[in-house]
Amino acid sequence: MTTPARLRIAGGTVYDPAHGVDGVVRDVCIEGGGIVAELPAGAPRLDVRGMVVMPGGVDIHAHVAGSSVNHARRLLPEEHAADPAPAPRLVDGPPPRSGTGGTVPSTFATGYRYAGLGYTTAMEAAVAPLAARHAHAELDDTPLIDSGFFVLLGNDDYLLRQIAAGETARARDYAGWLLGVTRAYAIKIVNPGGVAVWKSGGAGGGRNVSGLDDAVGSSAVTPRKILETLAGAANALALPHPVHIHCNNLGQPGNAATTLESMRALAGQRAHFTHLQFHSYGGERGKGWKSAAKDVIEYVNGHAQVSVDVGQVMFGSATTVTADGPVEHLLYASSGRKWVNVDIELETGCGIVPYSYREKAAVSALQWAVGLELFLLAQDPWRVVLSTDHPNGATFLSYPELIRLLMDRAYRDDRLKAVNQKLLAGSALLDGLAREYTLGEIAIVTRAGPARLLGLSHKGHLGPGADADVTVYAPDADRAKMFAAPRYVIKGGAIVVEEGQLRRAPAGARLAVRPDYDVAVKKDVRRFFDDYATVAFENYGAEP
Amino acid sequence: MSAVEHVTCLGCGCACDDITVVVERGRLTEAQRACVLGTAWFGDGQVPQEIRIRGRAGTLERAIAEAAKVLTDAQRPLVYLAGDISCEVQRDAVAIADRLQGAIDSLAGTAGAGVLAAQRRGRAGATLGELRQRADLVVFWGVDPGARYPRYSARYAVDAVGLAAPAGRSSRRVIAVDLGEARGPADADGRVAIRPDAEVDALGTMRATVQGRVAGTNAALAPAIALVHEMTQARYVALVADAEPGPIPLDPDRAEALIALAQALNGRTRCALSTLRGGGNRSGADAVLTWQTGFPFAVDFGRGYPTYRPHAGAAERLAGGEVDAALVIGAPATLPDSVARGLAGVATVAIGPRASAAGWNPVVAVDTGVAGIHEGGTAFRMDDVPLPLRPALEGEDVRSATATVRALRERLEGGA
Repeated sequence: MTTPARLRIAGGTVYDPAHGVDGVVRDVCIEGGGIVAELPAGAPRLDVRGMVVMPGGVDIHAHVAGSSVNHARRLLPEEHAADPAPAPRLVDGPPPRSGTGGTVPSTFATGYRYAGLGYTTAMEAAVAPLAARHAHAELDDTPLIDSGFFVLLGNDDYLLRQIAAGETARARDYAGWLLGVTRAYAIKIVNPGGVAVWKSGGAGGGRNVSGLDDAVGSSAVTPRKILETLAGAANALALPHPVHIHCNNLGQPGNAATTLESMRALAGQRAHFTHLQFHSYGGERGKGWKSAAKDVIEYVNGHAQVSVDVGQVMFGSATTVTADGPVEHLLYASSGRKWVNVDIELETGCGIVPYSYREKAAVSALQWAVGLELFLLAQDPWRVVLSTDHPNGATFLSYPELIRLLMDRAYRDDRLKAVNQKLLAGSALLDGLAREYTLGEIAIVTRAGPARLLGLSHKGHLGPGADADVTVYAPDADRAKMFAAPRYVIKGGAIVVEEGQLRRAPAGARLAVRPDYDVAVKKDVRRFFDDYATVAFENYGAEP
Repeated sequence: MSAVEHVTCLGCGCACDDITVVVERGRLTEAQRACVLGTAWFGDGQVPQEIRIRGRAGTLERAIAEAAKVLTDAQRPLVYLAGDISCEVQRDAVAIADRLQGAIDSLAGTAGAGVLAAQRRGRAGATLGELRQRADLVVFWGVDPGARYPRYSARYAVDAVGLAAPAGRSSRRVIAVDLGEARGPADADGRVAIRPDAEVDALGTMRATVQGRVAGTNAALAPAIALVHEMTQARYVALVADAEPGPIPLDPDRAEALIALAQALNGRTRCALSTLRGGGNRSGADAVLTWQTGFPFAVDFGRGYPTYRPHAGAAERLAGGEVDAALVIGAPATLPDSVARGLAGVATVAIGPRASAAGWNPVVAVDTGVAGIHEGGTAFRMDDVPLPLRPALEGEDVRSATATVRALRERLEGGA
C-alpha cells in the first residue's frame, strides 16, 4: 500500500509505557507524521490484530557515523566483503542504495538495518568537534533514523585550561558554544583526562590516569574536576540529555570502584553513565577479575538522578572503537590484532581494535554475565537502557538475541551453562536470577526509557503529539525471532517496513541543541584558536 | 575589489584554510598566504564554460541526455573521481556508480599501497594539529615536504608553536632520512642516510630494536639503529612519509614497515605516522567511498553491491580493456597519466573544471567551476579533517559541478 496521510493501526496489543499502557488492545491513530488521539471512522486502516505495537526503537548509544567510525570501516574490508548488502527493493521515495555490513556497516546499510529492527532513532555516541562536519555528512547518508550525536569534551585543551584557572562559568559557556557550533545533541566525556595524558606523550609508563584524583597536566585538573565541571555545565545549560559519561579505567579489573566514585562525585546531579558493563568489574589489576555488577547496580537503583545504558557484550565479532586511545593501546598489546590510533588535535583521541568475544574465553564470559546481571538486578528500567555500545560489545543486530536472554530464563540458563565459568564465581547470574523481562519492560528499555533520558518528548511514546514512529511485531515465543523481524515499521507516518520487507527509506531528521550561553566566550576561544589551532575559528564546527 | 577570508586551498593535501582571496571585476587577483602550488591552483579564477557533445557545442540538457545514454548503454561503465570536486559531488557520483552497477575509483587510489597496508595492520596517526602541539622529534622519511606540500612544515609539524612546543621550531629536533635521491629537508638538525634498497630492512630492524628483539650487528644499519634509539627517547615522535608516488618506485612493503615501526614506538613512547597526500580533495573521495560502500577506492558495483578490487583500479581496468564507458567527474588535469592514457580508447563523459580541454576527447564534456573557487561544499585535509569551502567567485556565472552531477544522477535515477 502507499502511505496514506492518515492511518489507523487497528486492533493491536499496545505497549506504551510512557502512558501506562501495558498490553492493551487499542488503535493507534496517525495523521501528518504524528500521533493523534482519534481519526474519523473511514480513515485507512492497518489491521494488526494479534500483533504487538510499540513506539519505534530509540538507541541511546551507538557508533554509527563520523571520522572514528569511518576509520573503523576502512580497517575492515574483509568484513565488508563477507557481508554484502544489495540495494533493497523500495516502492517509492529516494532510490535504494547498496552497501556492505559487518560490524561497521556502510551508512545506507546502517539506516536500512536499524529500520529493519524497528528502530527509528539513534544517537551517535562520540564525535570529535573537529570532525563534526564529517559526522553530519554521514548521518545525512544514513536514512530512516532520526539521529544526532554527542560531542566529545573532557580531554580538550581549552576546557582543561579553564578548569585549571577555576573558570567554571567560562567552561560552561564554551560547552554551550561548542554544542551549537557543531550542531550536537549532548556532551560526551570519554575517560576524563586520560586521553589528554595519553596524548601528552613521554617515554616510559603513566600514559593514562588511573583514578579520579590523578593530575592531568596541572594538579588543579583531575578527572573529578572534569566530571564536575561538565556535569554542571550540562545541567546549567538545561540540555535535554545530561552529561554522557564513559568513566576512567574502562575494561580494567577493579574498575567498579572508579565507577562508583564517579557516580558519587556527581551525586545530586543528573548524569548518564554509559556502557556500564565495561565499568563494573571487581578484582585487581594483575590478580584477576570478577563481577562487581551487584555493587554498581545497587548504587544506580538507589539514586534516581543516575541513568545508565548497559553496553552488553554478545558472543561473536565486534569492533572496539572509542575516543579512549590508551585503552585501545592496551587491547592492541594484549590481543595482537590490528590497531588504529588517531590523536585529534586539541580535543580527543580515537582508537580501534577489531575483537571477538568467545564463549570459551573467561573474560568474554565474565563480561557477558556482568551485562546480564546489570539488567536483571536493575529495579527501575526507566534508567537502565538496552545497548551493546554498538559495535564495541556487539552490533545492534544482536539486540533481538539480547532481548531473548532477558525475557527467557530457560534459554538464558542454557546459554550460561555453555560459557567459561572460570571468573563467574560471585556472579549473581550463577546464583540463579529468575527474573524475566516483560514486553512492557522491553518497551521501556528499548524506546520509552531512552527517549525520556534523551529529553525527546516526541519520541518513545504513542500519545498525541508524538512522532508517528511505530513498530509492529508478530508475537513469537522465540523473542529473538520476534524482535529481529518486525511486521510493520512506520517512520514519521510513512510505512517503511511492510510485511517484514523494507519498502521506503526516507531521510531522517537531525536532532541538535542550540543552548543559550554568554557569547563573550567566543572571543577567548578565538584567541586560543589563533594561537594553536590548525583550522580557522571561522571554519570550525558544522554550521550550514 | 572584494576579499574573502579563511578560504581553503586544495592545491595539495595540506588544505590550508587561512587564504585570503582578492577578487577584482570577477577575476581572482591575489591569494594571500598561498604557497606557489596554492597560487597556481587558484590562478585567476577564469575557467572555460563550454559544453561539447561529440566535439560540437550543445546545451546542458542535451549533454545530460547524451551522457546518460552513453553510460546506460555501457556494459562495464567506470566512474572516476578526479580532483577539485567537493564531497557533496563525490556523494552523488558514488550514487551514480551504484545505479549503473559500474566500477568506481578515485585519485585516492594513487596512494593505494599505503591504504592497503593500513587495512592489514591499522595505523598510528594523528591529525596534523596534534603533531604541531606535541611533536618534539620530527623525522622526515625520504621526503622534503617543501616540494609537494610547501606549507606543511610552517603550519603543522615543525615551525608552528604548539602547546608542548612553545618555541615552535626550536622546541623540536628535525631529522632528515635520506633514501638515495629522496632526501629529507636540507635544514634538518640531523641526517641519516639509508640505501634505498635497504629501506624496508632498516625499518624492520628499527622496529625489532624498539621491541627489544636482537637485531644483529649489520654495520650498514647502524645509523638506522642510532636513529630509533633517539626516537624512543623523544616525548612524541612525528614520522613523516610521502604516500603519493614519486619519480622513484616505492618498495611495496615500505608503507607497512613504516606503520609497524610507528605502532611499535607507542609501546615505548608516543609516535604518529603522518602520510602526506596530494590535493584536490582526494582524501574526501576516500572518506565518501568508505562511508557509502565500506571500501576506500577501487570499488565495483557490478554484482549489485560494492566489492573491493584494490588491484583492479581504474588504470588496470582501462589497460585491460574492462571498461566500455567512463564518467570522469572533476578536473581532467588532475588525472594520473595511467588513467588518462586508458581513457583515450573509451567513450567518456567528462564533467568538471576544464573538462572541454581533456586530451582524451570525451563524447560529452561539460565545463564546471572548481570546488573551493566557484562553488562551496566540504573537502578533507590529508589527515581526514573536514573543512568548508568558501568560493570567492560563486555566482559568477560559472556552471556548478554540484548541480550538473545532480542533474545527471536524477536523470539516471529517473530511469532514462
